Amino acid sequence: MTTTISREQWGSRFGYLMAVVGAMVGAGNIWRMPYVTGENGGGAFLIAYFLLLYLIAVPGLMGETSLGRYTRQGLVGTFRKLYGNNRLVGLGLVILIFNIVLMSYYSSIVGWSIYYAFHALIGTFTQTDFGTAALWQAFSGNTALNVGMHSVAMLLVTGILLFGIKGGIERLAKWMMPILTIALIAIAIRGITLPGAMAGLEFSFSPNWAYLARGETWLAALGQALFSTGLGWGIALTYGSYLGRNDDIPLGGGIFTAIGNTSFGLLAIFAVFPIVFAFGISPSSGAELAFVALANAFGSMTGGYLWALLFFMGFFFANLTTAIAITEVGVTTYREERNTSRTKAVLTICGIIWLLGIPSAMNADILGYLDFVVGNWGLPLSTFIIMIAIGWKFDAHRLRVLSLNRGADLYVPRVWELVIRYQIPTIMLGIMIYFLYTNLGQTPWKTVSGLVILTLMIPLCMWIMNRRPETPHVATSTGGQSS
Amino acid sequence: MSPSAIVVMITSIIALWGVAGGALIVSMRREERKLALLHSQGDFEPYSPRAFRDLERWLLQHPDSEHAPEIREWQQAQRQSLQHNPQCFYDWSSATDIREAP
Repeated sequence: MTTTISREQWGSRFGYLMAVVGAMVGAGNIWRMPYVTGENGGGAFLIAYFLLLYLIAVPGLMGETSLGRYTRQGLVGTFRKLYGNNRLVGLGLVILIFNIVLMSYYSSIVGWSIYYAFHALIGTFTQTDFGTAALWQAFSGNTALNVGMHSVAMLLVTGILLFGIKGGIERLAKWMMPILTIALIAIAIRGITLPGAMAGLEFSFSPNWAYLARGETWLAALGQALFSTGLGWGIALTYGSYLGRNDDIPLGGGIFTAIGNTSFGLLAIFAVFPIVFAFGISPSSGAELAFVALANAFGSMTGGYLWALLFFMGFFFANLTTAIAITEVGVTTYREERNTSRTKAVLTICGIIWLLGIPSAMNADILGYLDFVVGNWGLPLSTFIIMIAIGWKFDAHRLRVLSLNRGADLYVPRVWELVIRYQIPTIMLGIMIYFLYTNLGQTPWKTVSGLVILTLMIPLCMWIMNRRPETPHVATSTGGQSS
Repeated sequence: MSPSAIVVMITSIIALWGVAGGALIVSMRREERKLALLHSQGDFEPYSPRAFRDLERWLLQHPDSEHAPEIREWQQAQRQSLQHNPQCFYDWSSATDIREAP
């Protein structure tokens, strides 16, 4: 039996591009990239990063988006279309679970950014004798408040996703991404005009070519290029499934998405490090940089209220657009698999994520553990699974000929197939082995337990999908075309 | 700032903001052209000359593949679009042989 359900499409090219770049620009671009760049040889790191971006992220994103547009299905539906209704569909379920787990703790980070955006709005950072470290410690130690902010974050995500692809995700991204850009540009202009700010730019851009010969530099660049662009997590596949048959993918879904995402990282370098150095703050990354060091610097700046508001609202927008994209992967898949309404799918997936996220909101160690497992092995494994599916199961050559170059603003040559089939999967395997090797000695318990969970999860998901009775094949139609 | 840091900074700006901005502008303009063609003639050819050559080559190499009917269907749609539409989306000036093929 074939059931046909109508499938939404992006309302405009600009809307899709903003949504997809918004999905990729998250906390990592703002609180990680400036520090990683400076710590790994500045210009030398950037060269390694550009190379890897073009060699891996751009072709990978093209493939993932193209597969999504071809199948017009979410994760599990795409795997079913590729592998047939058998246990290998469980591989799609594995990636879906990684997304849900990732979102369960990313929601806490969105909650932190909402909390700080609220404090920026009420002018907390510009109060006299105000201590940002004390605020962060009090917030981190308040379990109820953290669970509350996680709940607020999930309520926001739920509310936006209920409005759908065009009315919710696209409409939001069309406003939030330009506002984020303007906010970061304004802060950057203010930052580089501060006395001593040039030292921050010197720290970030000064090239130390010796770093190009260091393995750590390339690994840091690889990590940033992969995790920042969200390659292989199912986000590009899901967003691509809402594209029209003749929409371009190589230029928009590939080059613009990867380079646009990194452009926000560059903007963050200009916005963050001049301020950090102008105020004599030790360069760092993560929550300490955003919520302690920068909050403190904004409080000491002339017009600090405005700069803090722009920064923390922008930071919140970046996190929210990413959270929406991660959650949408589950929503699209659940809707198709259960053949249910979008409202029910949104409420179910967001409810599950909210429940699973409570332990991470209550305990930072749980958040750290999940990030360790998902970041070190879960996401590289997802990318590996998706690239094997594209390159070998679907056939990279057929995908390029049939879908990727259709309606394309840029012709993709045959070398792309080699990248998808050999290069990316090999690199992903290498990353997982390297992380295993380095972490086994340092954190054996975390490493072994994480690997045990992953090792059990794959056959379990395959068993679940194998046991599932054959569901009605859901064909999707848009504008008179069906697949 | 040191001269080398300035060079890296400017190169990064061009390589990132320049490429991203350029890609955004080109992508938007091409989309406008697609929409104009859809509005004036209902459709346009989905494959560029090079992409269409790949499609035809695939069919020559895999005539009996289970996927051949699907690709043949798309090849036919492209041919019909080229024959019936007065305006093309892609530049066919150097590929008139393919365009005029039956």
